[in-house]
Amino acid sequence: MTMALTTRTKEAIKTALAMTIAVGISLFMGWDKPMWTAFAVAFVSLATVGQSLNKATLRMMGTLAGAVAALAIIGLSPQDRWLFLILYSFWISLCTYMMGGVKNQYFWHVAGFVCGIICMDGGVNSENAFQITMLRTQQTGLGILVYGLISALLWPNDSGRKFTDSVNELTSTQHHFYRACMAILRGNGDPEKAESLQLQLLQQKSSLGQLLDAAEADTYDIRVQRQQWRDFQQQANALTTSMVRWLDDFGGDTAIDYDRLIPGLKSFDEIIDQRLDQVEGMLKGQAPEPLRETARLNPDPAALQSLTVFQKAELAVCLNQMEEFESLSRSIFGTVSHLKDFGLPDAGQPAPTASGPAFIPDLERLMSAVRVTATIWLAFLGIVYIEGWPGGAGFLAMATPIGMALAGTPQVSARLLLAPALTGVLFASVIYIFIMPSLAGYAELGLLIFLFTFFICYRYSEPKDSLGRAFGLAMFFAIASISNEQSYSFLVVANTALMMPLVFLIVAITAHIPSSPRPERIFLRLMKRFFRSCDYVLSSREIEAGKQSAGRDARRAAFHTRELAMLPQKMSGLVPQIDSGKLPGTTTAQLNSIVTSLQSLSERMQTLIEANSQIQAPRQLRDVVPDAVDWKASVQAAFVKLSTDPTSSDAALYHSRLSSIMAVMEQHVQNQLNTLAEGKVSAQDGEKFYRLLGAWRGVSEALVAFADSTMPVKWTPWREERFT
Amino acid sequence: MMPTPHEFVLGGVYMPPMLVAAFFGLLATVGSVKLINRFRLANYFSHPAVVFLALVVIYTIIIGTFFIGA
Repeated sequence: MTMALTTRTKEAIKTALAMTIAVGISLFMGWDKPMWTAFAVAFVSLATVGQSLNKATLRMMGTLAGAVAALAIIGLSPQDRWLFLILYSFWISLCTYMMGGVKNQYFWHVAGFVCGIICMDGGVNSENAFQITMLRTQQTGLGILVYGLISALLWPNDSGRKFTDSVNELTSTQHHFYRACMAILRGNGDPEKAESLQLQLLQQKSSLGQLLDAAEADTYDIRVQRQQWRDFQQQANALTTSMVRWLDDFGGDTAIDYDRLIPGLKSFDEIIDQRLDQVEGMLKGQAPEPLRETARLNPDPAALQSLTVFQKAELAVCLNQMEEFESLSRSIFGTVSHLKDFGLPDAGQPAPTASGPAFIPDLERLMSAVRVTATIWLAFLGIVYIEGWPGGAGFLAMATPIGMALAGTPQVSARLLLAPALTGVLFASVIYIFIMPSLAGYAELGLLIFLFTFFICYRYSEPKDSLGRAFGLAMFFAIASISNEQSYSFLVVANTALMMPLVFLIVAITAHIPSSPRPERIFLRLMKRFFRSCDYVLSSREIEAGKQSAGRDARRAAFHTRELAMLPQKMSGLVPQIDSGKLPGTTTAQLNSIVTSLQSLSERMQTLIEANSQIQAPRQLRDVVPDAVDWKASVQAAFVKLSTDPTSSDAALYHSRLSSIMAVMEQHVQNQLNTLAEGKVSAQDGEKFYRLLGAWRGVSEALVAFADSTMPVKWTPWREERFT
Repeated sequence: MMPTPHEFVLGGVYMPPMLVAAFFGLLATVGSVKLINRFRLANYFSHPAVVFLALVVIYTIIIGTFFIGA
């Protein structure tokens, strides 16, 4: 009878076996500090071969970069502790800033802390610096090699199938989302279903990128077609964004009968539906039919007469979005037919990417760099000026990786992390003091390493438990200090146990840079910044006139535009960390609603920026400009007020003020159109103008929706001080 | 009469009196701030984090001087 092992057991066995073999080889070769090879195995082991290889590559490259930086810092600052500290903190802050980016985060983390380890081990005795560098590099390489071989040979688990499944899921969800949006457009849809599909799409979008990186590393078929898969990923992301904006454009108003207004809508729907269906089919290996072309969506002129000016504007914006995603769906169709070798001539073009200044600073990442610099300086001053500081120079080597990891998330309480760290110390201490001294030979020690690693990996196998796993393994190997001439000292345990609270104390202090790390306070700060950026974008002449500005103005415009796009995402990440139990009158659903309304406002502002940059009001319709100036002044005043106090929004006031301005504007536009001779405003000019009007209307509605979403929240407890 | 400063022995490990006083000072501070939060008195402080640190120092000195002898 055979017993089937679960994936969890297999993964734990693989890591434990790799750990035992790697430490064994290191001891056999007589290398010092086998714990470094153990760290490499512990931290690169992931669910699939590709993911592990990717992480292993980043760790190896990071080790090399960190080693070069360490040697340079030691070489440039001999016998000068302050120059050393300046150079060291500059390198670590640079790595921390880069860690906050979307690519190669792990590379930068490793490049930072390896520099710390080599500087602290080698810097004290500069003759050893090169040896320490080489030792660290070869121990890391050994751990990666052993784990890579084990994961490739024992129960290999490649990422290709996971990636293919993920692509199938994404295209299927996009198809369902398209159907849900179209049903809402026709007045018989379910907005809640669309919202849930939208959420699924966002989650699938983020996991697809990681799986593609992994699949490129371990699946040959994916690797040879990687450029096409990258194009597909980019097009799929653009299609999702386009559909979300389309839904935002008409989601709030179903008073328009689109079927009656647009005679070609039914045929358009059928063709797009079939196209998305065929994309799904091609990905599963079914041959497609030739691509069917959609007719241009022209509204029925007779039915158009019955619409108000703003309904026409809404229609123009909606049709523009539909044309955009029609074009994107065609590109995806072409790319997939090319990928699956169905030989259709249209290979599809990747979605255009926005070009802008090469470097746009990110305030959160800059603050992380400042926090980690403060952590390093406090740790260094403690070591230099306080006699008997636990760990000595090694304290800085421990503070650096922890400080870097936590610098980006000041809202995470250091107390929460101290618990797994001290548990790891306690567990490792018991084994070190009571079990290890009674072992003889590597057969017994190897068995202990295998069992301990297996237990930790099995117990903390879920991604949410990664912290427990990291601390458990790291503390064990740091305290055990396994070597060929094993010695035991209670001081190792005592020092490590004292170092951890001190590191977390320093991190807890620096988390207050620039101000309170309470997640609700950060949420409010981000809201203020969001409205400051809204204000800048609305008032910026460069953006308003669609000019291609250069230099400082271009960088400021790009900065604020990116802030608008990124801040709602950052706030969304904060919502689960806000403890609504401590804020009476606030619920998680209310906060999600605020984030959704800000996301919608961000999309509408983006539409306004695009409308401003692409189209200008036709000369004949410039008479409505004073109304537009009134509207802009009113919205800008709201943005300025919200940028100082985002909790002060008044939905009723905004609604009445903006509604009255829009009503006057509507009347003026209608009068102006009536007085113009037939044919004086071309259809194209009219459409452009309606798109501009639609963008203004969208921002007004989104602002009122934001004010509505903030009304039920009781903000008083948010402003009260509290011990965290 | 003030207690005489002396080390604490735990399983043969000698610990400085200041470490013990700081440990109890930290425990007392955690208890105090929980009570302060409970009765919403933290609202009267402009920087609770600084108050927390100050309380740790005050408690450590009081416990060290009058109870432990640090």
